Amino acid sequence: MKNKLAVLASAALAITLAGCSGGNGPAGDSGSGANTSTEINIWTLASANPAKDAAWDKLVKDFETANPDITVKTDSYSTDQLKESLRLATGTPSFPDAYMYWEGPGLGGELVAAGASMDITKYYDQYKWNDRFNDTVLANVTRYGGHHGVPWTIQGEGLWYNKALFKQAGITSEPKTYDELVAAADKLKAAGVTPFATAGTVNWYIMRLLDPLIETKCGAAMMDKLATTAEAWDKQTCVTEAFTELKKWGDNYFNDGYMALDTDSATDLFFRGEAAMVMEGAWFGGDVKEKGPDMMNDVGLFSFPTGTGRLYGFGEGFYVGANSTKADATVKFLDFITSAPSQKEFSGLWGAISVNKEVPPDSSNPLNAGWESIFNQATGMYLNNDQAMSLANVTEFWRIQNSVLTGDIAPDQAGAAFQQFIEANK
Amino acid sequence: MPARASTRRSRHYGVHRHPVRKSLPYLLPAGLLYAVFLLYPMVASVGLSFQKWTGFRTAEPEFVGLDNYVRLFTSDPVFFRAALNSVVWVVLSLAVPMVLSFLLALALNRQMVGRNLFRSVIYIPAVFASITVAAMWKWIYNPQFGLVNQTLRSIGLGSWAQQWLGDPKIAFFSIFVASIWQGVGFNMVLFLAGLQQVPQELVEAATIDGAGTWQRLIAVTLPALRPTVVVVIILTIISSLKVFDLVMGMTTGGPAQSSQVLALWSYQQSFSSHAFGMGGAVATVLLIISLALVVPYLVWALRGEEEN
Amino acid sequence: MSGESSRIRRRRKVDYPTLGLWIALFVTCLLWAVPFLMMFLTSVKSKADITHLSTWDLPTQWLWGNYAEAITRGNLPVTGLNSLIICVIKVPLGLLLAALAAFALARLRYRHTKLVLGLFVVGSMVPVQVALGPLFSIMLETGLLNSIWGLILPYLAFGIPYQIFMLYGFFRAIPAELEESACLDGATTFGQFWHVCLPLAKPALAALLILDVVGTWNEYAMATTLLQSQSNWTIPVAVQSFSGQHGTEYAQLNAFILMSALPVMVVYLLFQRYFVSGAFSGALKG
Repeated sequence: MKNKLAVLASAALAITLAGCSGGNGPAGDSGSGANTSTEINIWTLASANPAKDAAWDKLVKDFETANPDITVKTDSYSTDQLKESLRLATGTPSFPDAYMYWEGPGLGGELVAAGASMDITKYYDQYKWNDRFNDTVLANVTRYGGHHGVPWTIQGEGLWYNKALFKQAGITSEPKTYDELVAAADKLKAAGVTPFATAGTVNWYIMRLLDPLIETKCGAAMMDKLATTAEAWDKQTCVTEAFTELKKWGDNYFNDGYMALDTDSATDLFFRGEAAMVMEGAWFGGDVKEKGPDMMNDVGLFSFPTGTGRLYGFGEGFYVGANSTKADATVKFLDFITSAPSQKEFSGLWGAISVNKEVPPDSSNPLNAGWESIFNQATGMYLNNDQAMSLANVTEFWRIQNSVLTGDIAPDQAGAAFQQFIEANK
Repeated sequence: MPARASTRRSRHYGVHRHPVRKSLPYLLPAGLLYAVFLLYPMVASVGLSFQKWTGFRTAEPEFVGLDNYVRLFTSDPVFFRAALNSVVWVVLSLAVPMVLSFLLALALNRQMVGRNLFRSVIYIPAVFASITVAAMWKWIYNPQFGLVNQTLRSIGLGSWAQQWLGDPKIAFFSIFVASIWQGVGFNMVLFLAGLQQVPQELVEAATIDGAGTWQRLIAVTLPALRPTVVVVIILTIISSLKVFDLVMGMTTGGPAQSSQVLALWSYQQSFSSHAFGMGGAVATVLLIISLALVVPYLVWALRGEEEN
Repeated sequence: MSGESSRIRRRRKVDYPTLGLWIALFVTCLLWAVPFLMMFLTSVKSKADITHLSTWDLPTQWLWGNYAEAITRGNLPVTGLNSLIICVIKVPLGLLLAALAAFALARLRYRHTKLVLGLFVVGSMVPVQVALGPLFSIMLETGLLNSIWGLILPYLAFGIPYQIFMLYGFFRAIPAELEESACLDGATTFGQFWHVCLPLAKPALAALLILDVVGTWNEYAMATTLLQSQSNWTIPVAVQSFSGQHGTEYAQLNAFILMSALPVMVVYLLFQRYFVSGAFSGALKG
């Protein structure tokens, strides 16, 4: 007995020590290139989707075949860990050559400000990327001055609605103004249908209604200034109006008990025909398709009628590490994965619309056509506020949003409460 | 917990008999791990609380004195709620599950049919990971399909159905109920172990003297259980202040931060908001509360040992 | 049992208080078991059954396949193995290190022994969240981040204090004569530890073993912070796999939870008798 224990213990120690000296770090997809080859390290978001993983591996392999002198090592992180690791690695040798990140000022912008990202304007000229991406997509990489990052995905969010329920409630056309939208919601309610399905356990799901409300009431220019706290939240009556509208939606148009629900419970209400609208992204088309052809015919889509003409959404991009010594090779890879052939090969996998303007929307899902027209009509983009604001502010923004809904903060106090927090945390 | 050394032993074992270097090889492995992976991070956390740091390597932490604490106590809308909840959690844990587990231990200390089964059923929730218990109870509390509301509706009490985790007034208590379910078994086992230390001769003597069940409990069992009770209290306080997984898994502190607790708020400040200074300050407050509640016990326990 | 006594028992009046107590206990246990029954029922239902049937209805179709899908989705072969590796290494190693330290503190005493003990014990009271921020930095700097081997080190550090505290009490209670006789037999200090103290502490070690297996197997806060890629996840971290962008798979989730607790339940049932039968006796003498 005791001998066994001793053996076990020493074995344990040996293994622990072995573990310390090597074998750590995320498992990569590194190809086994020749010793002389350049290895570039890319940090990206772990996907729970095997099809995406396979597609990524294929892209890497194809690139390595075409460029035998370069190998690509990918490290995948979960959302929070990607954020955390990038922060802690900024300025250290372990920082990757490129990292995937959200492009809003609160996330991508923060890293740019911290000096984590390289201005790659010269590569934009070299690879003529300004012709590859359209203006809405490019706005996300040029907003910090110069060019930071290469666009990877572009996601829009809009109101998906149940055509049959709209018809049943006597709504004959898609709402073109915010007032029409409210009128439609009233009609739905009168017809005994839940107008809007949402869920409170993940704060950002309700935020998808609050953000367009602020855009509606405050206008495009003010929305951007509020989001970056360039304008004070307690000085604008439009902020109070937006929160008042939110409260109105919460009291009248949301599904019962939304605060305790998960997103899937909300979308489930939509799919079962109990709720008429959800605020969902372009990816939602895939979920609709899964439900079968009947559902495809039954579901319609329109952009939230804010009156500003801008599209609600966000983008993700690959940023080149500021101190990368392998920027040439890295950029070559980023050029490869955003090129028309690569984007066509996996059309629709990372989003309904490709960032590459030569690539038509994924035709395997007819619902994507709706997005194409929304993207083409958009005069610009306003971001989900959890991407536009700093993380600390977002946490407080959500608390206030939910407190307004539960009645703990009056709508006319919301702006002041938020501004107070912003000042205190400057 | 530390046994009182018997008088005889103390005489045999002079306290200063052994040179330090003799004990070092035994202490060093544990001590090193402890110092590097617990003590140092803990102290560093306190250090961070006097700094402002966004977590970026490129941005040196900036010394801000007591700024974080001032902000915490004057302008953090969540901190007081979190601190209050943490304290309420401690108080409730000492009141409800502890009493319940004591009663269960008393009952299950008797011979009866199915005793082992009863004990196991009560204990088994304790072997489940808190994060899975949270997932489980989130499902139980689901407003549409959950066990609680469905049962209420099926027995005609539909009006009692609640947004158990969606109503800011009750979410915190809903989480607490899950913790009772999970935690009672462990305390019960501690009490059962303690009950076996109660000298049977005394109980029998009291019975012969004509003491009733109640009197025996007051006069014999409870005094003999005192050390166990102290241990259970201490462990309950510690685990109450550490509560994290359940809240994280069920509400992540919501709705509108109504169920926030200190451990989770500190974590979120550091890892979600990347305000490491604020996170450190919340952690320091938590640390101070923990130490204030536990160190007196520690001093008492170690003193008690020497007196003997 | 003689015929006489059994006749007496049969004639004896029903013991109402005991019966009432038994019924109360029975009801309590039923209440305690309800969540498990519900979990099991949910785990074998289809998505449609979950949304359309009442919780208490039996499934229209028993979907045992949910368990297979839960294994795939939670990546159980990998996450389970990770948890197992951590447990198998951390638990015995931690107990050994704690026992060594407790032995030194209890039996090789010098001037500041109590201070050292106090310093250790304070650690058992510290919520892990207090240290997580700096811990992340340490792990990143030493390259131990995102590695189950690395995770074992803070696991050891956070497990040791409590175990030292418990074992210290046990070792202190060992009569000096036993050790002295060992000394006369020519045993070294380590011999005293290995041949005298450790065997005597077996019941405490068994109890700590259960506690530590349960605690290590179920640890979430550190694992979710320090492990990143899915291939390194432990079972508690993997629970999040069941809530994705496309909603929560309740059937698979419940199946996964039930399966994930099986190993610990087995350990508990195996060591159960140590647990209640005064396993803490040495340690509990305050």
